[in-house]
Order: sequence, then structure tokens, then C-alpha cells
Amino acid sequence: MRARAMIPGFVLAAAVTCAASAPLAAQEENALGRDVYDRWCASCHGYEGLGDGYAATWMLPRPRDFTQALYQIRTTASGQLPTDDDIMRVINEGMPGTTMPGWEEELSLEERLALVDYLKSFSRFFAAGEAPEPLTFSSPTRATEEALADGREVYELIECNRCHGIDGRGDGTSSPTLVDDSGMPTYSADLTENWYFNGGGTVEDIYQRLRTGLDGTPMPSFTDLIDAGVITDEQLWNLAHYVRSFAPEDPPGITEVIRAGLVEDAPLPEGVDDPLWESAEAFYIPMGGQIIESPRWFVPQVAGLWVRALHDGGELAVHVSWSDHSESPDTAWAGFQAQVLAAVGPDEGDMEPGPRPDGLYLQFPMEIPEGMDKPYFLLGDPLEPVYLWHWESTADGAQEADARGLGTMAPQGDASQSLVSEAAFSAGRWAVMFRRVLENEDPGDLQFRIGEPVPVGFAAWDGDNGETGTRGSISSWHYIFLQEPTPATVVVAPLIATLLTAGLGVLVVARAQRREREGAEGADEGDA
Amino acid sequence: MRDLFGCGRAMVMAAAAVFAIACGGGGGGEAGGGMEEEAAGEEMASPVDMATAGGINAMVMFEGMAPEMDAIDMASEPNCAARYTDAPMTEEVVVGDGGGLANVFVYVREGLDAGMSFPTPGGAVVMDQVGCRYVPRVVGVQAGQDLTFRNSDGLPHNINASPSENRGFNISQPVNMDTNRSFPLAEVMVPVRCDVHGWMSAYVGVLDHPFHGVTDMAGGADLGMLPPGDYVVEAWHERYGTQTASVTVTTGETAMVSFSFSEAMAANAVVPMGEPIDPHGPGAHALAPATH
Amino acid sequence: MNTKPWKHPLGQAAIVVVLAYVLFEWGIWLLPPLFGVASAPVPATVVLQYMGTVVVGVLIWVSDSEERWKQFKAPIHRVMVDPRQKVLRTALMVTIPLLVAFMTFDRVRPTVSAPAALRSVHPAPPGQIDFRGETMVLNGLENPLRHEGDLEEHYEEGKRIYVQNCMPCHGDALDGQGHFASAFNPAPLSFQDPGTIVQLTESFVFWRIAKGGPGLPREATPWDSAMPAWEDLLTAEEIWQVTIYLYEQTGWEPRTWEEEGAEGEEH
Repeated sequence: MRARAMIPGFVLAAAVTCAASAPLAAQEENALGRDVYDRWCASCHGYEGLGDGYAATWMLPRPRDFTQALYQIRTTASGQLPTDDDIMRVINEGMPGTTMPGWEEELSLEERLALVDYLKSFSRFFAAGEAPEPLTFSSPTRATEEALADGREVYELIECNRCHGIDGRGDGTSSPTLVDDSGMPTYSADLTENWYFNGGGTVEDIYQRLRTGLDGTPMPSFTDLIDAGVITDEQLWNLAHYVRSFAPEDPPGITEVIRAGLVEDAPLPEGVDDPLWESAEAFYIPMGGQIIESPRWFVPQVAGLWVRALHDGGELAVHVSWSDHSESPDTAWAGFQAQVLAAVGPDEGDMEPGPRPDGLYLQFPMEIPEGMDKPYFLLGDPLEPVYLWHWESTADGAQEADARGLGTMAPQGDASQSLVSEAAFSAGRWAVMFRRVLENEDPGDLQFRIGEPVPVGFAAWDGDNGETGTRGSISSWHYIFLQEPTPATVVVAPLIATLLTAGLGVLVVARAQRREREGAEGADEGDA
Repeated sequence: MRDLFGCGRAMVMAAAAVFAIACGGGGGGEAGGGMEEEAAGEEMASPVDMATAGGINAMVMFEGMAPEMDAIDMASEPNCAARYTDAPMTEEVVVGDGGGLANVFVYVREGLDAGMSFPTPGGAVVMDQVGCRYVPRVVGVQAGQDLTFRNSDGLPHNINASPSENRGFNISQPVNMDTNRSFPLAEVMVPVRCDVHGWMSAYVGVLDHPFHGVTDMAGGADLGMLPPGDYVVEAWHERYGTQTASVTVTTGETAMVSFSFSEAMAANAVVPMGEPIDPHGPGAHALAPATH
Repeated sequence: MNTKPWKHPLGQAAIVVVLAYVLFEWGIWLLPPLFGVASAPVPATVVLQYMGTVVVGVLIWVSDSEERWKQFKAPIHRVMVDPRQKVLRTALMVTIPLLVAFMTFDRVRPTVSAPAALRSVHPAPPGQIDFRGETMVLNGLENPLRHEGDLEEHYEEGKRIYVQNCMPCHGDALDGQGHFASAFNPAPLSFQDPGTIVQLTESFVFWRIAKGGPGLPREATPWDSAMPAWEDLLTAEEIWQVTIYLYEQTGWEPRTWEEEGAEGEEH
């Protein structure tokens, strides 16, 4: 309702601003800036800088409208214009987690400097010519235990969890109603994936964003709280450290092979919360939108999956977890879903909002391939079908299924179902566990073999984001490798090599020393 | 932002003081809908000669049955929900018992003498956050005037203002506190929202003169005392858009200007946001007959 | 006698071996790109082979002259027998076997890697394709839009098609670094790379766009590629337009059929 009242206003305001103020003279003089902008930026941001380029309606968040001079990543106070360096930083590094890439490699410094000026010329706010005053930032504090504990208290005091959730996964109660200044639905950042932070993932970046806010988004500035004595500057640093601590030390690498560790002295995990999973190696599988077959999906919410696997020689257990803002279908998110579908739907055919589950599948070939051949990575094709483990949040347990191409997934018959599964949603995270015996009697199932890489692919859906059917995120083929028992050679060979080398060394040195002594004695005798 | 314009304001004030002494006038025409916090001793004189001035009173009525408002789901904020015995309703359309339409921003849009400038009121307009609602929901301020955002809820709010002519801001208020901001340029209106509580929205009208008001439950608003002349008055509503009327002010009289809105207007309403306002426009004679 | 290390045969031998290693391990990989020539890391087994050759060469050189051989051996000998070098001697006798142990462990420990997939990046195109029910002969086929209509307009239309369809994987900068790129293996092609479209005729590019991953021959592992078959979504004109955009935007010139023919004769 509010959005309906506001959107026409913004549209009107944009039109008024543009008509009244495009400072054409400044643009005429900056031919290099215009060339670079028209060549590389206009396709998304539009030739007039209105954020309405060719691809704008394929994107959430939408490309920036430069006429409003609203910049998220700044070193200046909330609502203030960015400095030239601030604009340069975003050009150089892009906006991780969005469609905006960094251009430092692509464009020369001269081109980027001209571009900064050209971007500013779109907005009359820069015409006054006053240089924006950056805030003074204090030096970072150390991330001690106490600092993290205090940061957690600040997180709770100022209730960051309202949007970002208790565990930082963006599942706060206010999340479903967030809109940005262009009236588009927007997600609160998942703090466990700092590599997707728009303004960078270091503790300094986080502190600066807390001080400045992200203009045009729901993220406010907290500088006034320091001025008003509600919290101290040091506490804001502590908060920054705490926020940083949600994410791993380093961004995950991409692994082609998921190693399923061999469990020899304990039973395989029974459920998603089994402590054994904590010791299992976790592999990150990046996901992309299904933009191969229509209707396509350009704004997937599942950006990556964490996969762990264990086996005991008889059974294989796979644990998949990922961040999700909600346990779909959640009625609190119905309005959000409608907004997402309205924002991106029409280009790929309309879709009505409705209650949709979250979903996940693991896809395997029907049998371990002999040579290079695999089924087509997108659910196979009529000639080479795939075998699937399919889970949905509304279904009672995961099912084994087959598919012969996108849109043909069908569960196996009841008699063939042999998958054990458990799923749990907690604080913005889904965890789903699958278990199956390695080899069974079902001719329609893949038979796993220890020590042989098995192709595996993934797909996931966030129902409350409007994802269903072909609208979801997918991965290409990876491999799952069931670890073999450690061969004795791993211990024996290095031991033998050490002994040989050491023995040889002792022999050579001893011989050299003996000859040296004999030589010396010989010389003594000679002298005598 | 406030500091930036503090200097200019002081100059305006000084000039206004000189003008006031010369004219021997006094008394402000401020009639904002918000709670005024008068700063004692800082009251500045207006360039309006009270001896010849006349008033404008607006009356905004709602025709037909008032649309039923949705209940606000405050489940995500139990502390606020607990303050209401009946479910709180959306305040997009508030109609009084007598049929008056409240929360309409009524202001002089055109007709002020080009040479006229008005001192920035010293007092701040307060927009409070009570029970997870903005009180009042619609306020008018003069450009440069302090607007105090107050958190009386003691729970986290953020104040996200998205003007078009002015620069916006988005600030956090996690506890009971006041934060002052001001807008240096006139624009109608500035939307304000709280992202923590998606249902909370408010509107600020910014003008560089004091002749504006926000209708009460009876639909009435007092626009203050103006020099005699022809004016264009506009009424702005967040759902039904705007209407204008011309009005003639004569010495010692209070001109009545009335507007009427109905639900049918919602369908095609254009609701201006961030429209720059120059009140020194041509005045009523240049305008087509008043629209209703 | 305290000679400078680089004047002593042992020092010289050590320097040559270290320099050779640095060159094989990083130089071959990182230096040519500085001059705009593409390169790649040298496989470990090849490095080992090269290093073996270098070591043999060095040994031949030091043993070539009796005098040099003596000089070469002297410091080694001293470490083995000199009572004052006892600390160094003991340290070496512990660390060398440990190093050998670690290297052995590294070789025998079970490692997991994906099965090697030998994949042809630029497979030979078919002579003709079926495009939306019509036969298109690729041999000798030029981009018809180069002589038809306004090139600027084709470029602009190609730009629109590119950002709406190709950009999520191939990237705004046409560098294969789109925001979905990391999800797909093989990675989306970088058109900026001198090894891609500059080596190809426009008809080849048309074929790859029209038929996508599923239309690849077996040696190019069609089941792995996430490249859609665009003939389902784009018209022939649109594919030619986006082809123009790829070349104009990167500044590369497409390979012509004359070049193709010339090379063919050489074979």
C-alpha cells in the first residue's frame, strides 16, 4: 500500500529532476567520460544515468540511478554526497553480491577518473561543487574475546537482529518488508557471507558502513548514537568485529571434488545436528540462476551450498546447508514474493505469487560413468537420464526421483524409495541430511563405489523468493569421492625413505671422517 | 546539514529582525500540524504586517463512506502490539466523526510577493514515534527549521527520509532519544519510513514560508495570517493526491477554503513526492478556476 | 679463503639450480603475459624433468675440471668432517631425512581429484547446421549484417541482447567473470582473451551461440557446458548482432575465411 503511494512519487521526482537539471555542458566537455560510460556502463545504468538500461529489469537490486546521487558506499555521513574516492572505489571494486563488477582491470586510471566526473555530472547535487567532507574514522581496535563479547551485546542492544537475524543470516522479523529507495524489495545482508558485502568484507569496511549507513537502502547510520552517547566509538568497532566473526576467515574456495570421509569408529550421523558433522570437511558449491531454459531466473537467493559427506563403507550420508531468509512458505513473506515477481517476472512470463516450498536436489548419473560421458548437467536428457535425491520443505522426507531433462523430474515408485532424510530450519539456515546404502538391489538407482569419483550436481529453490520449477539456482557437475581406508604405504613409505636417507647420511659422513683421520695420521707419519 | 545552514539562517534572522522593527509588526503565522516546541525568546518577527493581514482556514471533507483500513500486523513487535486494546489500523485514510479528512497537508502554493522571505522559526517541529506509529503522521516545517525525531517507544526504530530536492538520511534510534535534522530546500512531500517496522510511514512538507497546516480530525487547518492578495492553496493527501483552490485574503477577514476528497480519486491519483515549491509564483489570477 | 659465493663453484651451482627452478615454476607462467603473450603454469612432472636436466648439466660442468671439482667438493667435505661444523652437520643430518620423509608422504598420500577430462575448447565446426528448420552452410559464411543496415544499430542491438542474456555468465566486461560464472564448470569464456573469438570466424561464433553446450561434439563434453542453445530464444539476426557486439566491444577482428584458407593450405 505504501509502496503504491510512493512509487509514482519517485517516478515523478526522477522525471522532474532529469528534465530540470541534466548539466549537459559538463557532459559535453568530458568526452572521454561519456565514451567510457556509453560503452561500458549505459547498458545497465542507461544513457541518461537513470538506472534504466537494457538489463535493469533483469536485476535486483536495480542498477544505480545516478541522477539521485544516492551512493551506498561512502566515507561521508548519512545522506551526504560521496567523495570522488568513494565513487572510484566502487568503480574499481564493484559491488560484490550484485551484478556490478569491478572495472580496475578493464579501464585505465585516466578512463576511470573521467568516469567519476561523468557520473557526477548526472546529478545536480554535485553541481554546487563543494567537496563532500568524509567522516573521521578511528583506527581499528583488536578483535579480542572481550571485544567480540561486547560487540555481541551491542548487536543485541541496537537489535541488528531485526533485519540480519540472531545468527546474521538475514532472517530477521523486519526482513520481509524491506524496500529500497527505488521501491524495490531488498534483502538484508547475510553476514555469514562477507565476500558478498557490497562495500567489502573487512572489519574496517564494516565499521565504515556502520558509521555511514548504506544510502538508498534500509541500512541506517549509527554515527548519531555515538554523538548521543548511546554507544562509544570503541563499541562500534566491537560490533564490527562481531559482525565480521559471522563469516569464515577466508572466503571459500571452489572445489571440484567433495570428499566423503570414512567413518570407522563411530556410527554414521543419524540427523542434521549430529556432532559428527562438525568434524566433517565442508565444501562450498557456488550456485547460479537457471538462465538456460525458459522461463529463466535471474535473481536466485541460494548463492551457494555447504556440503559435507561421510560414509562407513556401507552407507553414505550427505549434509547440505545454506542460508535462507525464511522457512518457505511463510505467510510473512507473501508480500515480498509478490514484489519480487512483479519486479522481475514479466520478462520471462508472468507468474502468480503463491505459497511455495524451499527445495533442493542432488543429481547423479544412473551409474558411475566409464569414460568422460555424463548426462546433460541440467537434469539429463531423454537419452541419458539422471537419478535424484529430491527434498522439499513441505514434503514428508526426501524422495528418490528420475529425470530426463528440465521439467521431467518424477519420483520413483514407493517400492523403490530407500532414502533416509532429515531437514531442520534454524535461525536462517536450512540443513538437510540424506542417507542411503552404497549399493542396493534397485536397478533404477545409482550404485556408489568406494574410491571412484561420482558426478553430482545441485539445484535449490527459495520458495518465498518466488522460486519454483525452472526458476531456481543450479550448479554444474561436481564429483563426490568416497574415501578409501588409509593404505599402509602412507605410513610405511615415508618411514623407509627416512631411514634410508638417514643411514646413507651417517655412512657417508662417517666414511669421510675416517678418511680425514687416516689422512691426518698419514700426514703425521709423513712428517715424522 | 543543520550546521551548514546555521550561518545563513542567522543572516535571515537578523534581516528579519530589522524588518520587523521597521514595520512594527509582530507575531508569527506558523500553524504547523506538528507539536511545536517553542524556543522561548527566540521568536522572530514575520514580514507580514499584522495590521493589514487576513487569515486562511482550510476545511477538508471526505465524501462518501470512508474506506476500511487494514489492521496493522504488529506481531513482529509485541511491545508495540501490547499498547493497543483494539488492533491498530493503518492511518492512510483517517476520517473524523464529522466527515473531516485528517492528515491533509494544506499550504500556500503560489501568490506570495517575490520580495518576501520569512525567518526560520526557532522552535522545532516534533515527530514522535509512539506505539510504532509516527505522531503526527504528516507535518509541515519551514526550510531550515529543526525537525526533531523522537523515539518514545524505547525500542529500535530507524528514520529513513527520502527527499528529492534535499539530501536524505537514514539514522538509527535504538533507544529513547531525540535526533534533529532539517531540510534546507522547499519540497512537497518528503516520505519518511521506518524499515524496522514496515508499516510505519510519515510525510514531511517543507516550505520556505509559514503558511501551511495539517488537517485535524475535523478536517480543519489554520494556514496563519497573510498579506491581502490572491493565493493558490493546495491540499495534499497521501492516497488521493492533490487539489488546488484559489483564495483571496482581505484585511481582517479569515478566508475559508474547502476541499473534498472521495475514495474514487484513489484510482487515478498522482501523489507528488519531492516536488519543488516556489511560492512566489503568479498567484490565483494566473490559474484556471479552482478544481474540486 | 673467503671467496664470494658467486665465485665459488658450489655457490654458482646452487644459484643456477635455484634460478632454473624459479624460471620453470613461475617464470614461464608469469613472464610472457607481461608482454601480452598467453601462458600457463608448467605441470609439476615437467618441472621435475627440467630440473633433473639442469642438475645433470651442472654436475658435468663442475666435474669438467679437476680444480673446479675439488673446489666444489671442499665446502661439502668440510661440513662432514670439521669439528667446528658439528652443529650444522647434525642439523643437516636431521632435516634432510625429514624433508625426504615429507616428500615421500606427499607422493604416496591418497589424493582426490576429478577424473581428467580432456576437453576440446574449439572443436571443429560442422560444415552446415540446421537453424530453426533451415540449413545454414557455415563454410565461407560471413556475418551478413556487416554489409546490411547500419552497423551502429546492430552494435547497439547486440549490446541489448548481450546484457539481457549473456552478461550474467560472460560478464559486463566480456571477461567471463559474470556474477553466475563461479557456478559453472567449464568456466564461461572470456571474449577479451586472445585465445577465443579472435581465433574464430564469425560463422563459428554463430554456430556456438546457436547450438550452445548441447550442440557441442563429444570431444568438447557437451554434457558439462552451461551455454544455452540460443536458437530457441534468439533469431538469426539477433545472433549476428550480438556477434558484432562481441567483436566491436573487445576490439578484436574476426578471423576471415581467407586466413582460414591460408592456414588450411599449410596443413
